[in-house]
Amino acid sequence: MLSSPLTKFILRRVGLLILALIVSSFVIFISLNLAPGDPLSALSGGRSLSKATIAALNREYHLNDPVLVRYWDYVKGVVLHFNLGTSIQFREPVSTLISQRIGSTAELVAYAAVLIIVFGVGAGIVGGLRRGVLDNSIIAVSTILAAVPSFVAAIVLIAIFAVDLHWLPALGNGSGFGGTIQHLTLPAIALAASAFAVVTRVTRVTVRSELSLEHVQTAVSRGIPWPLVVRRHVLRNASIPITTVVGITVTSLFALCAVVEQAFNLNGIGAALIQAALEKDFGVVQGISLVLVGAFVIANAVVDLLYAFLDPRVAIGARAS
Amino acid sequence: MIRSRLTVLTAAVAAGALLAGCGRALPTAADLGGGASSASAVAALSPTTPPPTKNWNKPVVWATYRMVDTLNPVQAFDYPEDTVDTTLCDSLLRQEPDGTIVSGIATATYPTPTKLVLNIRTGPRFWDGHPVTSADVVYDLKQASSPKSGSFYTQVFDRVKSIAATNSSTVVITLKQPDYWLEGELSEMPGVVYEKAYAEKEGKKFGTPSGLTMCTGPYEPKKWIPGESLTVVANPHYWDSTLAPRVHEIIFKGIGADATLTSGLETGAVNGTYAQGIGTYNQLKRDKSLTVTNGPAANVDAMVIDNTKGVLGNVKVRQAISDAINRTALIEAVYHGASQMPRTLESPGQWGYGQSVFEQDWNHLPPMTVNLAKAKALIKQAHAVGKSITIGTTQEISSLATDANVVRQAAVEIGLKVTIKSVSAQDYIALFESASARKGIDMFPTSNYGDYADPAALYNTVVMPGGSQNYDDFDNPTMVKDLNLARSTANPDLRASYVAKVGDLMATQLPWIPLDDPDTVLITSHQLTGAPVSFVYMGGPWANMMGAR
Repeated sequence: MLSSPLTKFILRRVGLLILALIVSSFVIFISLNLAPGDPLSALSGGRSLSKATIAALNREYHLNDPVLVRYWDYVKGVVLHFNLGTSIQFREPVSTLISQRIGSTAELVAYAAVLIIVFGVGAGIVGGLRRGVLDNSIIAVSTILAAVPSFVAAIVLIAIFAVDLHWLPALGNGSGFGGTIQHLTLPAIALAASAFAVVTRVTRVTVRSELSLEHVQTAVSRGIPWPLVVRRHVLRNASIPITTVVGITVTSLFALCAVVEQAFNLNGIGAALIQAALEKDFGVVQGISLVLVGAFVIANAVVDLLYAFLDPRVAIGARAS
Repeated sequence: MIRSRLTVLTAAVAAGALLAGCGRALPTAADLGGGASSASAVAALSPTTPPPTKNWNKPVVWATYRMVDTLNPVQAFDYPEDTVDTTLCDSLLRQEPDGTIVSGIATATYPTPTKLVLNIRTGPRFWDGHPVTSADVVYDLKQASSPKSGSFYTQVFDRVKSIAATNSSTVVITLKQPDYWLEGELSEMPGVVYEKAYAEKEGKKFGTPSGLTMCTGPYEPKKWIPGESLTVVANPHYWDSTLAPRVHEIIFKGIGADATLTSGLETGAVNGTYAQGIGTYNQLKRDKSLTVTNGPAANVDAMVIDNTKGVLGNVKVRQAISDAINRTALIEAVYHGASQMPRTLESPGQWGYGQSVFEQDWNHLPPMTVNLAKAKALIKQAHAVGKSITIGTTQEISSLATDANVVRQAAVEIGLKVTIKSVSAQDYIALFESASARKGIDMFPTSNYGDYADPAALYNTVVMPGGSQNYDDFDNPTMVKDLNLARSTANPDLRASYVAKVGDLMATQLPWIPLDDPDTVLITSHQLTGAPVSFVYMGGPWANMMGAR
């Protein structure tokens, strides 16, 4: 059992994850300390504090200890006590802050991912299969969308659909399934827009190139019904590159969502990361960064597993060629 | 004392758009009506809005520039914390919308100049039903005055010798020297009353989202999602029936970006906010679904002179720069007109006592309009033509960038050489805290305020030896003498006359160069009314004055 390819794959990925977390935590910790600014000034909002107060606060948050000592304390806390530290800004455990926010980010990313997969892949397949006006308009639209950064998309969407038309709310998370969908629709579109374009174009090109391959042409000439040819010969083979590009774009949404969360005032980890970085709230920056690194490694692993599932010729853990 | 402009930074970084960093273009003289300089503007601004006639039945969503971080009053200083703490908690003394100080949870009397007696009222109860006792008050004051608690307010207790309860409803503060400024502080965060037993039970968690607080105020916290929202509900047993809440539920949200706040207000997702120099002011004013009200200013925008070893050490150079600054253009560029022409380093919204004395003094001070001929003559007399100065600022906060730019133009026009040193917003904050950050910078813009309605609350930090913002060791014996006299004077009008004398000297000696006095700007849904339009939201009750029109 231990030597099964799946186990080996999982072990390897877990090792990779741990390594990535160690390296990134160290780099983030050190660079935060090298960057200018002081968490106490964020805490006091710039009010000049008395020396005794500064000393008391420095002691409380261990701000005077050498960087490496603090890093070591942090690692010990994480490993021995599963303690990600305390937020200076909120005076709350970092793990609590992250757990309260990660759901909101996950919902947003999931919604955007669904949009990308349904509309991005869908439009790409349609455009790939059918030349003509439809294909040309898909190219035109995706070109425009590719050029629109998500913060611009956010501003335009809010101006049109929230302020002018009053169709959808301009900000906030909403509650319940319906409320969440309502509140997250504009943010998800803003987040998905440029990724949508990439996915559409890659899908379209892949489908197109599959169509011109010999086995497809042979299948067509043998009189196999067109829908079957598309399903079995075109899409099946196109699925690996499409999965790759969808996987990469969806994972990158975790990093991009910060901008969208801030524009729509959503309570996600991206917005929290920006805020914490500005306020020099080390623990929170560190914690959220590690969550993002973890999400990246895990998402990559899932994509690799999908390869094997989609194409039995690909061994588990091997990169699809 | 940096105030909220960091919000703009957050927005800019978030958007990836550093557009906000460019500063705003100045309008030309032809664009300007010049209305901001009229003397009558002082009287025209009222600190109140029409009182509500009905209860407001939906939740009110109230925006602060960032989410509240703590409910612990001894660490509350910035806009979000002060706005929320004043909603939840009462202070020992109470600030009214016009800045006057009256009895709050306690009544203050001075049997002798060095003894302040606080008599605790018999009605106020904490949300858990326990009455307020002298033990609570002594505990709260000791927390506020002790550095061990991480208090931001230890300096305001520097004349206090001891704090002790004499019976269950009386607390005596014994002073080393007379201190009539202490009343002002006790009407604000250092005087917030919360339950001792509760705070001790919560320990380090007191004031945090998991520990909350236990006060007597008109609202109590219901749900706090850190960084997202804080929901508070009306306290049905609030002791002061004249100020019983008419809004059942308020949801505080932190909204940094002007664009997000604007769309929130316009779509009704946000019902109100006290805005600080919002870029979309004119757009919001035009929106029929909103009411934008301007009230008296309490903060002042100014150039901090942090180095008087260079050419700025000569008062004539400071006067010349001040005379050359086009404040009308500045007010239009940064505040779209919602700010007033200064006459000294104070604004009429700070007159919490002795109003007639302050006003009379103010009326004989000239408005700080441009006088280039005088400026050029002064700079020649000072033999400073061709000398260099360095102005610190941050391009990440557009109002500060604009301030620096206008002052640079003025200084260049009178023949000085000016270098602008632009730093990150974080490093800009450091200018207020570290001498090494200020090195090489002669002056930098600020928007600044005192803890309560008294010009002396700010003057004290700027010109007293060892004052927290006296970076250049500015020392004017007359000012120091008059401020000390003011602090020790019981009679409000007499005290005001000492402070007004300091104000007169401020206008000519210019330890800081005043730029403008920004209005307090209240933006609410049209149907929501009653909230005061003054700095009281930073120190006294305001939320329980709201209701439906």
